[in-house]
Amino acid sequence: MPDSEDKTHWMQIKIQTDGEIAEALAEVLGRFISDGVVVESLTKFNPHTQENEPTGEVAVSGYLKVDGALETKKQAIEQALWHLSQISPIPQPEYTLVKDQDWMSAWKEHYNPIPLGESLLVLPAWQEPRSGEKRHIIRINPAMAFGTGTHPTTQLCLRLLEKNIQPGTNVIDVGCGSGILSIAALKLGASHVIAVDTDEQSVKSTHENGGLNQVSPSDLEIGKGSVKDILSGRFSCQEAPLVLVNILAPIIIRLFEQGLEKIVQEDGILLLSGILDHQENNVLEAAQNAGFIVMQKLSDADWVSFALRKG
Amino acid sequence: MAKKVKAIITLQIQAGKANPAPPIGPALAQHGVNIMAFCKDYNGRTASRAGEIIPAEITIFQDSSFRFKLKSPPAAILLCKAAGIEKGSGEPNRDKVGTVTRSQVREIAEQKFNDMNAIDIEGAMRQIEGTAKNMGIIVVED
Repeated sequence: MPDSEDKTHWMQIKIQTDGEIAEALAEVLGRFISDGVVVESLTKFNPHTQENEPTGEVAVSGYLKVDGALETKKQAIEQALWHLSQISPIPQPEYTLVKDQDWMSAWKEHYNPIPLGESLLVLPAWQEPRSGEKRHIIRINPAMAFGTGTHPTTQLCLRLLEKNIQPGTNVIDVGCGSGILSIAALKLGASHVIAVDTDEQSVKSTHENGGLNQVSPSDLEIGKGSVKDILSGRFSCQEAPLVLVNILAPIIIRLFEQGLEKIVQEDGILLLSGILDHQENNVLEAAQNAGFIVMQKLSDADWVSFALRKG
Repeated sequence: MAKKVKAIITLQIQAGKANPAPPIGPALAQHGVNIMAFCKDYNGRTASRAGEIIPAEITIFQDSSFRFKLKSPPAAILLCKAAGIEKGSGEPNRDKVGTVTRSQVREIAEQKFNDMNAIDIEGAMRQIEGTAKNMGIIVVED
């Protein structure tokens, strides 16, 4: 083994079996491993459908900390598994030593660029685009929690943005997060974007990602704040023909109470995202009361997004 | 075009307590899933149900993007609740630790039906009964 064993902090216990006994196995492991149990459906590539399809087999696994209690726990698990095997046969568990690592970053090695909509490609900060790449590249440091391009709400909003943006337009992005939507708006031809967020960290991230994408600071105006700060005149304009709000439904409803409609120009477009399907009606009611009509709705998993027109 | 599925992983974890340590870290890192994004989303959706185990079924696509659904609590946990016990038997073949009635099994099967790959409720009940047997819980007629 190339690495010294003192770096190994976890022992993975894994049992591959059919779906029937998975629940009982997960229960047994869960008794000894309080941090949680993983059940992975094994898949096989089907050349006819060109898809990976579940085989019906699963791998049940958990992680034990390598410490003084490891052997005792391992024996207890094996004993419980032996008793279980007297009822239903189960294969021998496999044990693998797993080095502790910075799991927050470990996933980056396996991360791929994400093509979005017709013309965008979200690239992690550490990767170079393929030569001849035709899509607009948005570089984002996906170490942050939200706005990395992988979340359905961001993807839905980017698709709506792509369809609704006019070259040379002004845009306001409320709750800019990582700045991904603001940067996309500029790549898609907006001439000026105001990006606001009430979270200091998001303001910082938008600055960083703006730099990463070589966006001119005069085109991307970033500040801490929300709808009321825009209305107060703290930014270069108080309304725009295209406004993006990718937050969460309860906050969207609160923003309507604060006059969200006033920052959208007459006949302008408001894109709303971050709405779970069961929250849709409440958000639409608030939007309709504020004078908007629905032009388009997109959904992905249990998330929905809307393009609305004012007037 | 539909996105290609790379893996389907169910994490049986504590509501509101997802964090990058194992098992979540290694389970998701190997597929390039943004771990903090998952943890933040999961915790946000489950915070109000602290103390429960709420499984998350995560579908990971070839491009490392992912979607997840919250599932009903594991059958094993629902069976323990129905039997009024804390955990299954350490020796299920010898030591029976509790009983549940067939109508309780039916209730659990109905609650979990959408999350199971059973054709009908009877099939789902047979799966739940199998789990009960493997936990040392006896199923009795009402």
